[in-house]
Amino acid sequence: MIAAILRAQWLSTRPGAGRGAVFGAITAVLWYGLWAAGAVAAGVFLSHASGSTVLSAVPLGMLLVCSYWQIVPVFSASMGAGLDLRRLLAYPLPHGDLFLIELLLRLASGTEMVLVLLGGSIGLLANRSYGGPAAVPRIVSPQLLFVLFNVLTASGMRSLLERIMARRKVREMAAVILALMWGLPRIYLRTGSAVKSWNGPASGLQRVGFPWTAAAQTTLGLSWLPMLWLALWVVAALVFARRQFDRTLRYDATAMQATPLTVRPSAWASLAEQFYRLPGLFLRDPLAGIAEKELRSLARTPRFRMVFIMGFTFGLMVWFPSMIGHHGYQSAPSPYFLPTVCLYALTLMGQVTYWNCFGFDRSASALYFVAPQPIRQTLLGKNIAALLFIYLEVLILTVVTAILRVIPGWPGIVEMLVVIGVCSLYMLALGNLSSVNYPRALVAERATQGARGGARFQGLIFLLYPITLLPVFMAYLARYAFDSQLAFVLVLSIAAIIGGVLYGIAMESAVNTAHRRREAILAELSRS
Amino acid sequence: MPSPAILVRDLKKVYGAKAAVDGVDLEVPRGSFFGFLGPNGAGKSTTIRMLTGLVPADSGSIEILGFHLPKDELEIKRRIGLVPDESLLFDRLTGAEFLEFVGRMYGLGRPTAIARAGRLLELFEVQAGRKLIGEYSKGMRKRVAMAASLIHHPELFLMDEPFEGVDAVGARLMKDILLDQVARGATIFLTSHVLEVVERLCDRAAIIHNGKIVTCGTLAELRSGGESLEDAFVRVVGAERQGELLDWL
Repeated sequence: MIAAILRAQWLSTRPGAGRGAVFGAITAVLWYGLWAAGAVAAGVFLSHASGSTVLSAVPLGMLLVCSYWQIVPVFSASMGAGLDLRRLLAYPLPHGDLFLIELLLRLASGTEMVLVLLGGSIGLLANRSYGGPAAVPRIVSPQLLFVLFNVLTASGMRSLLERIMARRKVREMAAVILALMWGLPRIYLRTGSAVKSWNGPASGLQRVGFPWTAAAQTTLGLSWLPMLWLALWVVAALVFARRQFDRTLRYDATAMQATPLTVRPSAWASLAEQFYRLPGLFLRDPLAGIAEKELRSLARTPRFRMVFIMGFTFGLMVWFPSMIGHHGYQSAPSPYFLPTVCLYALTLMGQVTYWNCFGFDRSASALYFVAPQPIRQTLLGKNIAALLFIYLEVLILTVVTAILRVIPGWPGIVEMLVVIGVCSLYMLALGNLSSVNYPRALVAERATQGARGGARFQGLIFLLYPITLLPVFMAYLARYAFDSQLAFVLVLSIAAIIGGVLYGIAMESAVNTAHRRREAILAELSRS
Repeated sequence: MPSPAILVRDLKKVYGAKAAVDGVDLEVPRGSFFGFLGPNGAGKSTTIRMLTGLVPADSGSIEILGFHLPKDELEIKRRIGLVPDESLLFDRLTGAEFLEFVGRMYGLGRPTAIARAGRLLELFEVQAGRKLIGEYSKGMRKRVAMAASLIHHPELFLMDEPFEGVDAVGARLMKDILLDQVARGATIFLTSHVLEVVERLCDRAAIIHNGKIVTCGTLAELRSGGESLEDAFVRVVGAERQGELLDWL
């Protein structure tokens, strides 16, 4: 029965024929190739490392693996491959079988980390101090338990977060809390004095044994006690995962997301309405109508709202600690802090706006093809809406940096606005092309989603980001190399002109592609 | 004499080795209520999708309201109202917001679109307040889809299974509105699996089977010898049960 369900899942997510299959194959090779290279590097490093290096590297490596497995799916707002197991409740299947399927899906989502662990284990087996044939059971068994721990924890976290994120208003709060959880310890540690106060408890916890230290110490054969700790961690993770899974099965997300029939008008709603009507002030229909629709729809889409909030919280939390010296603020704020966090926000917003601009519309995108407005207007309207959200994000970040007293001053703000505009040109240009060439249906109701090939698509996009940021980087490089603001302005102006031309060419190409591939685009967007 | 509402000649669409639509000839007079029937997979939806320009035809010609597709695509789009089998509704808008949006896409000014949206929601008895379309029932979604197809006062309606999932009250309401539109001179081209619906509403019909039109004419012409439309349909598509029931069932 489990095999039948997994087969159905595989059949429903297998790549289609034609360019979709080619694209899927290329991104899969790139993505898993990178991780395989990482695994080989880990193996080579550990096979030649000295005893003391292995002692410090293995726990750190295990910590990184665990962090990636648990945190990255949350931070990238993509929870990995998923199957709505509640649909299977109608069939006579024991919940234990469904739980097993969930675990297998989580294992599949963590393939990258399994590769790295495999590479590291082979490296350790080849190491003179710790390896050899006799070490196989000692190295392999804790690794398997560590994988099991991660699979169970990932499953439990996924179920828990899915329920939290499904609740109206709670999910946005959860995003902020997650950002604080990530950033506050780093800020605390960067302030120096905190390190001393943490040393005691941290070393105590280290002795008690985190799962990664327990797995590492067992793997290195240091003592039998860590194996016991690791086993206890696995049991705890099993209880957590199973409990969360059962609660999610009984959870009614639709009821939690329902809009009350009568909503009292509030100042916030009135403000939002004014924001939605903004395009109508300077554009004519149908362009204004499309942009307004896009603003409304996106603002009400849980997944978009999550990413929007992440844009001005996670970015600050990631970069802000770097601004702080060991005894407080540096003497002068870095002029690159605000542009950096704004560019981070711009790149993060891409996955819910310009990279796949028809994703949330799904099959309703057909309306753009049956209504009498040219498809160019649709893409333009969607780009304008994306740009408005990007600049709203920038505005929020500017206000926050002003509050934190790390704002670069008016010239810096103007420079940042222009830089964001130029980068947006490149990203929107490539985004229009990717939207019509590689459209994917997204589920708006879910705050997190592992769309078909989502991780690989994101991997490819991460490779594209440096290309889109290169022109602006060149401008900064010119300023640094020539120590001249004029050089910066000149290069940035050239980058803007090239960006404008590129945007025009890309738009023309996207329009032609949309006409030519409209049937395939709509078929892809209609997939559930 | 005005051109027909729809004039299709030798229309073909092939998917892989299968011809979904295989040389269809069709003429739908203006002002008629035309039923387009056929078993599952016969080519009904593909034909409608070609008429709306969503799917390009491999060969053949399409003329709608005197305009040629794809040459006069925008002119045709301005004059047709579409209720497709798949939802064209944006789930994160309310019904009123969606109708306003569609009105503006068809060139109505915002005040006109808002006013018409309100009247249409009243007419279709959709009172959902701030509820988003994504939370509507299937029947409510169909009502909003049909309201959206009316907002720009089209001359021709293309409807793919418009009554599917709609309760009896809603279906009656929608039928009355469609009959009123025909009385005012509009043309309606609809597909339906419910033959009683076609029998009650349509004055003309065509049956498509394996991508080919097997019969076309007035309902009286389709029903020979006083048989029902269902009998005529089964006879034409050759779907009489040949085998035995499953022995284990």
